[in-house]
Amino acid sequence: MLIKVPSATNSGLNTIKVEVEVDVAKKGLPTFGIVGLPSKAVDESKERVRTAIVNSGFKFPGNRIVVNLAPADVPKEGSFYDLPIALGILSSTNDFKLPESSLFFGELSLDGSLRHAKGALLLALFAKEKGIDNLFIPKVSANEAAVIEGVNVYPVENLKSLLAHFSNEEETIAPCEYKERNAKVFDNQAEFDMKEVVGQEQGKRVMEIAAAGGHNLFMTGSPGCGKTMLARALPGILPNLTEEESLEVTKIYSASGYMPPEGSIIKIRPFRSPHHTTSRVGLIGGGSRPQAGDISLAHRGVLFLDEFNEFPRSVIESLRQPMEDGNLTISRSMEKVNFPAQFMLIASANPCPCGFLNHPKKSCTCTERQIQEYRKRTSGPILDRIDLHVDLPVVDTKKLSRDSKLKEPLEDSQQMRQRISKARQKQKQRFTNEPVYTNAEMKNRHIKKYCPLSKEIKQLLHQASAAFHLSARAYYKMIKVARTIADLDNCEEINSSHMAEALQYRVKA
Amino acid sequence: MNEVINIDDAMYPKRLKEINDPPDKLYFKGDWDDDIFENCLSVVGSRRITTYGKTITNNLITQIANAGITIISGFMFGVDAYSHRAAVEAGKRTIAVMPCGIDIIHPAYQKDLYEQILDNNGLIISELESSHPPAAWTYPKRNRIVAGLSQATLVIEAAEKSGTLITAEFAKKYNRKLFAVPGPLTSKTSIGTARLIKEGAEIVTSAEDIIKFFNISIRQNKKETNLIYRGLENLEQKILDELNRESLEVDSLARFLNISVSELGKTLSFMEIKGILFKERGKYHVNQSTFSN
Repeated sequence: MLIKVPSATNSGLNTIKVEVEVDVAKKGLPTFGIVGLPSKAVDESKERVRTAIVNSGFKFPGNRIVVNLAPADVPKEGSFYDLPIALGILSSTNDFKLPESSLFFGELSLDGSLRHAKGALLLALFAKEKGIDNLFIPKVSANEAAVIEGVNVYPVENLKSLLAHFSNEEETIAPCEYKERNAKVFDNQAEFDMKEVVGQEQGKRVMEIAAAGGHNLFMTGSPGCGKTMLARALPGILPNLTEEESLEVTKIYSASGYMPPEGSIIKIRPFRSPHHTTSRVGLIGGGSRPQAGDISLAHRGVLFLDEFNEFPRSVIESLRQPMEDGNLTISRSMEKVNFPAQFMLIASANPCPCGFLNHPKKSCTCTERQIQEYRKRTSGPILDRIDLHVDLPVVDTKKLSRDSKLKEPLEDSQQMRQRISKARQKQKQRFTNEPVYTNAEMKNRHIKKYCPLSKEIKQLLHQASAAFHLSARAYYKMIKVARTIADLDNCEEINSSHMAEALQYRVKA
Repeated sequence: MNEVINIDDAMYPKRLKEINDPPDKLYFKGDWDDDIFENCLSVVGSRRITTYGKTITNNLITQIANAGITIISGFMFGVDAYSHRAAVEAGKRTIAVMPCGIDIIHPAYQKDLYEQILDNNGLIISELESSHPPAAWTYPKRNRIVAGLSQATLVIEAAEKSGTLITAEFAKKYNRKLFAVPGPLTSKTSIGTARLIKEGAEIVTSAEDIIKFFNISIRQNKKETNLIYRGLENLEQKILDELNRESLEVDSLARFLNISVSELGKTLSFMEIKGILFKERGKYHVNQSTFSN
């Protein structure tokens, strides 16, 4: 007897329909085989399925069983074919009918319950796109799929309850309600509040600009001056993801298997801070079955690279193209996968190998030559792609606490975040008809369209280009930064003081 | 092409012969011309030059070289290189005494400077053979030639124990005049110069102090100062007053003036574009050359 159970597989952020054909033959020796390019995890499904069926109190047929995963020429991996295979086998011994227009997906535990699966959100999106009505997925992953409207997501706890659902007259498992999409939303949680950062007024200002416009930022400063602290405080001033952004980010996390069980949708901006020993594949993404790297996991959020100069050059250079395009395509002989990677790069570095150049107390032991060599490690093209550059001085805490001029209480993250949210709102309005969310993403044609400059400002910018030797790319970066400063200032037009402030954060020659 | 001058040649610099252990041979590159040795000032200083040191070196050496005094130094990076550069940029002659054979450019990345010195009729000299590598012992030996060739030695920035002080000792030993530029006592590279001043080196506050020593009359070019001062806004003037006292980073400056960093930032940008200020090593400095000449 042959039965076809519809399922699907994810490749990158794409989903392909997979038909699981199960044949339980009347004749032949009792065997159990899977064909259709199964990976090791799929092949081991045999043992899980057999044990789960028996432990759920059903009989495992002593017949010749052949499972075919169609299309047969696409390599299959993952453990979520367990459920369709088990259903196919059980249909030969038990009397039930699978509902029309459904997808089945899930890994079985040996006791017959279903485990958390990666990619549930992608599956729901696929079902919606193809007009498939029902989705049977593990209960712990159901919240993720339930955010998609128009698909009945059935949370399946174990094999036994699912069979009861099919066998009884009435449905025993109720589909998840659509409103559950708001389940498990966390507020932004940063390690530090901006008001805890003492001094570093310019550092905070530049963080605010970066957060408002999604700009890349490069910080230079001696050890302990507060670079890392500022970066770690950044999530606290970033506004939550918008609905579209949230879906984009959750897709990547779902496909990569980073969604927590019961998790529904990611509302907070991701903050990734890979260590400098990270491999190129780890950062950019790749592998024989392409996986998203840290830059994609930082999509719509922050990629913080501490000790930027310690990253191997080849790793850093590979950031160039994604930084420009906001996405990247990983090509392998078997498949080509596109991952979005619109991240804010926050990089920090010491000013010299010993770290104490410009330090008021400690003396630097590096020679000028060593300093030059050290700086050369970060390539010009990368620096040119970073909009904001800032030198952070060493904070003398004693001096600060005694300073009577510091009367006003320091601003906290919440206040900054409100201003930033307003600036982001303005950008959203501006780019309603464009595939762009923030000022930093603007291409030259957008700059020409949305950032008209007065004669006076053009003149200022030309003078500055000549005085500071700005490259053509840096020239446009300055306009983008000035646009963000104007947005923070709640101004429709960029004026000369916005532009002049932007010039403070230019790339150093 | 390498050439060599022996100690008994007539062209051998007379002043160098006066020292107790003059080199037997001098290898050289460039056009050997006797009057290059007539008025010579040796300039020595720290390899770790500060922004202050750079400003001083540029200002002093440009004026001294323009007065027709040959600048002699050791081609090392730091004060040496800045002195040579100031001289060649003024289009004047300068002599580099190498710690190695003259065919070796050490440090190698200063190749452009090496060529500029020769292009401006300067000399590259050494007592070592053409491709002799530099070594720890060649530097102090080289320093005696630097001190021995000139009537006077000028020290700009020196740390407590440094090769610069060795050269200064040679100058004293050979009864040559010793000048030193004062610097902030908080700076490590001012400790050596402060000590030299204490021990009797003449303090230098302007290029004239040195030019007078060589008995050269200076063309008085009237300074038109305060030209730029006139067009300054109130805040710009305040910033300038603070920075003239001490170079500062943005955060401190904002604190002293009690304004926001964004407000201050835009004014600083305008001032930078005008060339009044420049930023180096995280701090803003007043561009002195804008106000002189």
